[in-house]
Amino acid sequence: MKKILIIIFGIIAGLFTSCQEDFLEAPAKSTLDESIIFSNAGLAKGAVDGIKEPFGQTNSYRGRFIPFYGFNTDTEWNLNSDKENDAQADLMIYDTKPSNSQMNTDNNAWSQMYTGIERANICIRGLRAFGNPLPGTELGQLLGEALTLRAIYYADLMKAWGDVPARFEPINSETLYIEKSSRDIIYKQLIADLGEASTLVAWPNEIPATATVERINKAFVKGFRARLAMVASGYMQYPDAVRRSTDPDLSVGAMYQLALNECKDVINSGKASLEPSFETFWKKYNQENIAAGGESLWEIPFADGRGRVLFSFAVRHRSVDQFTGQPRGGIAGPLPTVFYDYDEADLRRDITCVPYQWGTATNGISKQELIGSESWNFGKYRYEWMNRFVTSTNDDGVNKIYMRYAEVLLIAAEAANELQGPAAAAPYLKEIRKRGFAPADQPVKVDAYVNGLSTKQAMLNAIVNEHKFEFTGEMERKQALIRWNLLKTNLEDAKVKMANFKNRTGEYADVPTTLYFKYKADNVSLDIYGLNRGENVDPGVDYSAKTWNSLTDIKVNSLFKTGVDPDTRQYWPIWQVFLDGSNGKLVNDYNY
Amino acid sequence: MTNHSLFDYFFSYLKLGEKIFAHIKKAFLPFVIAMLFLGANNIYAQNKTISGTVTDGDLSGPLPGATVLVKGTTNGASTDFDGKFTLNSVNPNSTLVISYIGYITQELNIAGKSNINVVLKPDMAALDEVIVIGYGTSRKSDLTGSVVSIGGDDLKKQSISSVAEALTGRLAGVQVTSSEGSPDAEVSIRIRGGGSLTQDSSPLIIVDGFPVNSMSDVTPSDIENITVLKDASSTAIYGSRGANGVVIITTRSGKDGKISASFNMFYGAKKIANTIDVLEPDDFVKWQYEYALLRDRLDTYQNIFGLYQDVDQYNGLKGNNWQKQIYGQMGEVQSRDLAVRGGSDKINFNFNYAHYDEKTIMIGSDFKRDNLSLSLKSKASEKVDLTFTFRYSDTEINGGGANEQNEVSSADARLRHSVGYSPIPLPGLTTDDTDEALSSYLVNPFVAVADNQRKQLRKNYNVLGSFGWEIIDNLQFKMDLGLDNRNDLDYRFYGRSTYYASNRPAAENQGLPSILISDEKRERFRNANTLNYDFKNLFGKEDVHSLKLLLGEEMIISKTNEIATEIQGLPKFFDFDTSRNLTSQGVPQSVDNFYSPDDKLLSFFGRVNYDYKNRYLLTATYRADGSSKFLGDNQWGYFPSAAVAWKISEEDFLKDASWINTLKLRLSYGEAGNNNIPSGQTVQNFQSRNTTYINGVNNYWAASNTLANPDLKWETTVTQNVGLDFDLFKGRISGSIEAYKNLTSDLLINFPVPGTGYSTQYRNMGETQNTGIEASLSIAAIQKADYGLNFSFNVGFNKNNVNSLGLLEDFGANTNWASSQIGNDYIVNVGQPLGIMYGYQSDGRYEVSDFDFNALTGAYTLKTGVVNNSGIVGVPRPGNMKLKDITGDGVVDVNDNTVIGNVNPKHSGGMTINANAYGFDLSAAFNWSVGNDVYNANKIEFTTSNNNGQYRNLSTIMADGNRWTNLDVATGALVTDPTQLAALNANTTMWSPYSTNFVFSDWAVEDGSFLRLNTLTLGYSAPEDITSKIGLSKLRLYVTANNVFIITNYSGLDPEVSTRRKTPLTPGVDYSPFPRSRSVVMGLNLNF
Repeated sequence: MKKILIIIFGIIAGLFTSCQEDFLEAPAKSTLDESIIFSNAGLAKGAVDGIKEPFGQTNSYRGRFIPFYGFNTDTEWNLNSDKENDAQADLMIYDTKPSNSQMNTDNNAWSQMYTGIERANICIRGLRAFGNPLPGTELGQLLGEALTLRAIYYADLMKAWGDVPARFEPINSETLYIEKSSRDIIYKQLIADLGEASTLVAWPNEIPATATVERINKAFVKGFRARLAMVASGYMQYPDAVRRSTDPDLSVGAMYQLALNECKDVINSGKASLEPSFETFWKKYNQENIAAGGESLWEIPFADGRGRVLFSFAVRHRSVDQFTGQPRGGIAGPLPTVFYDYDEADLRRDITCVPYQWGTATNGISKQELIGSESWNFGKYRYEWMNRFVTSTNDDGVNKIYMRYAEVLLIAAEAANELQGPAAAAPYLKEIRKRGFAPADQPVKVDAYVNGLSTKQAMLNAIVNEHKFEFTGEMERKQALIRWNLLKTNLEDAKVKMANFKNRTGEYADVPTTLYFKYKADNVSLDIYGLNRGENVDPGVDYSAKTWNSLTDIKVNSLFKTGVDPDTRQYWPIWQVFLDGSNGKLVNDYNY
Repeated sequence: MTNHSLFDYFFSYLKLGEKIFAHIKKAFLPFVIAMLFLGANNIYAQNKTISGTVTDGDLSGPLPGATVLVKGTTNGASTDFDGKFTLNSVNPNSTLVISYIGYITQELNIAGKSNINVVLKPDMAALDEVIVIGYGTSRKSDLTGSVVSIGGDDLKKQSISSVAEALTGRLAGVQVTSSEGSPDAEVSIRIRGGGSLTQDSSPLIIVDGFPVNSMSDVTPSDIENITVLKDASSTAIYGSRGANGVVIITTRSGKDGKISASFNMFYGAKKIANTIDVLEPDDFVKWQYEYALLRDRLDTYQNIFGLYQDVDQYNGLKGNNWQKQIYGQMGEVQSRDLAVRGGSDKINFNFNYAHYDEKTIMIGSDFKRDNLSLSLKSKASEKVDLTFTFRYSDTEINGGGANEQNEVSSADARLRHSVGYSPIPLPGLTTDDTDEALSSYLVNPFVAVADNQRKQLRKNYNVLGSFGWEIIDNLQFKMDLGLDNRNDLDYRFYGRSTYYASNRPAAENQGLPSILISDEKRERFRNANTLNYDFKNLFGKEDVHSLKLLLGEEMIISKTNEIATEIQGLPKFFDFDTSRNLTSQGVPQSVDNFYSPDDKLLSFFGRVNYDYKNRYLLTATYRADGSSKFLGDNQWGYFPSAAVAWKISEEDFLKDASWINTLKLRLSYGEAGNNNIPSGQTVQNFQSRNTTYINGVNNYWAASNTLANPDLKWETTVTQNVGLDFDLFKGRISGSIEAYKNLTSDLLINFPVPGTGYSTQYRNMGETQNTGIEASLSIAAIQKADYGLNFSFNVGFNKNNVNSLGLLEDFGANTNWASSQIGNDYIVNVGQPLGIMYGYQSDGRYEVSDFDFNALTGAYTLKTGVVNNSGIVGVPRPGNMKLKDITGDGVVDVNDNTVIGNVNPKHSGGMTINANAYGFDLSAAFNWSVGNDVYNANKIEFTTSNNNGQYRNLSTIMADGNRWTNLDVATGALVTDPTQLAALNANTTMWSPYSTNFVFSDWAVEDGSFLRLNTLTLGYSAPEDITSKIGLSKLRLYVTANNVFIITNYSGLDPEVSTRRKTPLTPGVDYSPFPRSRSVVMGLNLNF
């Protein structure tokens, strides 16, 4: 009895002594402290990898931003643009509403970008506090990557939405809800961040980490910084008007000089260069050649089973066939006129514009079949060029090229033209253009052509055109048109040009209205006659004919919604779900 | 909808009966026969006549209607109006049994007597059962709070597989709904509607004082009684987590006296209740042809079905009934349990073993459970009581069911394959080869089942001990110690045809089988110490005041560890079993050994019970809870409550009203807390995770997607309750009526913070309210020695309302069954209840007259003023589904979504009828729900042919003649001429199945009101004089039919359904449920 008593009181006493403050503490177990993670390069790399993970989320870059941003332009359009009252079409025709059902979800790219930014903010704070990230160290490289990845997310946010909330520190309860900031402030921060990052990260192939274009290298940071400098000082839609920034730090003089300097650094470094053949470059890309030091500077590094670049933009496959287990592609393509804007000798034309798709397979083998003149496919993305057979039903796994060396050259040309005149720009433009033509054509098409550009304006016009020939299908055009203040002008021109093409008048009067085709010896690829201007003679009985004028007025007018001024709709509205979730802090400008 | 009525199956049950009889025959036939002989063997000799009077010991008058029975026989009589009786042919040495409801039964030997006078005394105890309440017991008449209970006898009379099933429709204000028809289907228990918004509103479940996660681990036959505490004055003693009510289960314990044993068994058969009727093969082919024409891809028809001219080859073909093949198995249930109890006043014991085994109606699906329990009670000395209980349960569930909550994609839901799969073999499209997964999105229903296999193994053991000590007179100390250990092992297989297999793994492992293994271990330790003091000595013997005091302290620590393993890229010919046993053949994508932060709770509580003259009762409770889920000052929550009751029947002015036994008015107010969120939400931590999204990155560190909130605190529910209990005519009529208002504030909401970098954050915000009225009534209509009839009836009206959402006005929730084709289809609005369906209003279909026809181009353009819904259904054409334009802008888009349904019933309840006569007993339990809407997603899916819908079959709602058609059968061409098209569809009623998207409109919202005869049991107990001769104290045989019939206007499989349960925001969705079955069960109860 006594013993029991003692035991009871023992237990009760024990309980009450354990009832001190710390009894109710229950720390997390399957975790590590920030101070440990960011002082160890192996662990810190895992945290920096975490910044990239949101690229692959369902409605992020993977399924929404890459397939939908960048349309429609004077060179590229989404082939569903003519669908009435359709969420996808609205995004393309400058008629997007905040409740767009494709985008208005809480896991949309907008929120994924901020997830990436938050992860970057945590990494940057942690690396600075615990890591001693000096240039030339692994932790230094990681800090540079974190700064650059954050800049990528911000650059794309501002590209699509204009002014956005600025978050450069991890969120706490006080900063959970904030208003939009001026984009000028963010651009300046990004340009400064990339300046710091360029001192931290290595050149391509300088260290093992920069051996592939899936990691951030110095050539990309500098090129990207140049691109942002051009954007920040360019024209764009502010809440009051379409104009350049009034911030003196973002003046054309300062920013173009910065861009030119960065481009020159990259060009002079010898760490990046043009692939000698345009076709080889795109083949290598589809073959997932990610070796650094060539033309590609950085790519969004989708794993093999994730990403919808080819899924969206490739030459369309109607069924599972010899090239792909994923019958997809062809949601967008070049405008019907683009093919005819190229010089017939331009080697980039047939890589960029494809007039066929792969038909329904018979016994697993599919053949090329002509499509209508209104629905060209992009040729830069081709399952048939891949080394890998895609098995996923929803993702192709091919990277998205974020920037390539050709753009560095073109920015250099544009900045040099503005600051020093056409002669200073000429070498850069020649270098790009040279690759577009066979050696025999170069004296006329490259040297004489560029040498003839004697005024600043003529050179700028040539750069704007060259941008089309070089970048159609890479969805770089929309932002470029905006900063040149050409969005509205060129889109309106494009409608006129397409109407002319449809009616075969004006500059398209000599484009044939019938194509003739037969299968080549391999019995799957097409031999087409009638694509070039003036090819009007029936080539013979072994060819079949196809009418080549299926473009309609409805389709032409779907480039952007009739009655809408694209310059008042340069940005998408912030989606309703984010407005609702912002505690009243976020509003849409631009009369949305 | 085919209704396989019970009668259809009676014939098949006859066959089954033979099978069962064969089972029983072996063991029991000998004494069944013996029993019959014995029954006929009554000998009568030299009998006499006896008469007498029965008087009421309470009122000293004659007692009419009392039963007088010669013991061991059926010879008996009732007393007349003067309390007199006469019995003939009575053995002079026999014993009379005199009984009357509400009075103590008397036995009297009549040797040497011919006239007897008997005084029956009222049995207060029988009218006043003892109810288990928090940390103690109370006489029913002394209760001040809102408490309902059900005894084990009600549970034992029928065959039930789980405790929750037995509660269905039995208790007022306790709504028990099973989500679908599978044996492990989640059962939702809501006490007065439940208050939480995004968190689970399930009540706290206490088994023998120990909080458990699920009541499914307790055997129904081992239960003494179940008590449900509904208002805060009763639950406040549980403080934390009592906010959604408390269910207290007490298991049986040994009884003093001789050792007794009981054995129960049942065996039964199950059959699918309903199926979805689908198109006949020729109609299926005809629609496929029209679909191909509408999509302008005629080749896709011709490749599979041939030329249209040859379409008559499909006429009259008999299609496969896939649903019957997958879900039409004859299910079998078997149950056996054995209990041995007994002991002396020093020590007694209760041992129980139960085995339950079910083979379900779905192929490859079964359920097994074994329970073992032993409890010991010992009176170590005059002052010391010791108890010890050990419980073990082991459950094995095989089969993937028809859907799942943590699904990768609704594309893998199983019912849809058995409905939508082509009814006829189509070369190139349908094969039994798993490889078809690679060539087509049609998945053979058998392949779908084989590729979505699952095995769950649950083991749970629970050890409880207590030490009670009467330190001084009337001061009782009690210490409880308990340890609960639970292990859930879950294998989920994804075969080659699944969405998971083709999309989730890294590219090199795509299209190969994968297996996910989750091994979760939970450990919970509890210690509670209480002191009870009864002040009766202090007040002397006057019996005017009574005061009792309870003081206590409690501590609960829970630890959880889960190892989640994903293995991908298993060899392509591996099935579920080989994958489970040979995991090293695959590629481990991720092995996550995750330790959750501990969940600790420390509480102090007290309770005072006071009554004055047994007329005025007061209960006051106070509890303080500290939880490790919160930080600093927020750790502690304080929950007071008070209740008063007035026993009106004890007042002098009612003393003479002999027909009133009890009349009591109760009033209570109290607060209860809730911390039902995952632990570790107050501090932001880094988590290591795996990914297959980024090249060369297999794992990464990142903060959780849920933003930490250091300011979290307790959610509090304030309950106000008023109730009236009555017990009239000596207990013949009893019941209660209650009204309540529950206000839950500081709601713990998993609050969306989209666009900030995190997806959600747990917050305290908003307020919900439940108000309602409940009534229960039981009537002992006939109470005779040989026959009787009881009714009991309960109904609850509950009204739920979201009073506030803090910063928000509303937020939406997505059931996601249609992936991104349907957006938010539920909405939480301030001023409305939870479970509001949100979608379009159907406006029938576009008729030819809605369009202008251009004869030149053949194009139909909408007339001005006719709304355009092209973004939702597709380009408008005659026959397309038409939706209403709510905003009035001429265009139907997401802004035209509106409230179209409410899942909350106006009232729900149940009714039980118990009848017995001459050893036979009959019970029927009904339950109903009135005014609730069901979201019939199946109906949408099986009437829509969207872009992914080619080659899929449709339900007969879209049969030829019902659906809009554009097809000229004679020519095989699409009709464009307006007059011809209108004539073609003069008699059709539905729109065309052809649509760009699945569309959620009020057409798919249906009234889910129903009345179900849940169980019907007929039993026979052999007379005692027969059973005693073969050593039994009781022998009962019974037949139970479950889900006998349902009366409803609902067109789907069953209106009691909820298949999208990942969040509580999307209840009442009927999407790919496991079909319900009907069953007939035969059983046996034996007591030794």
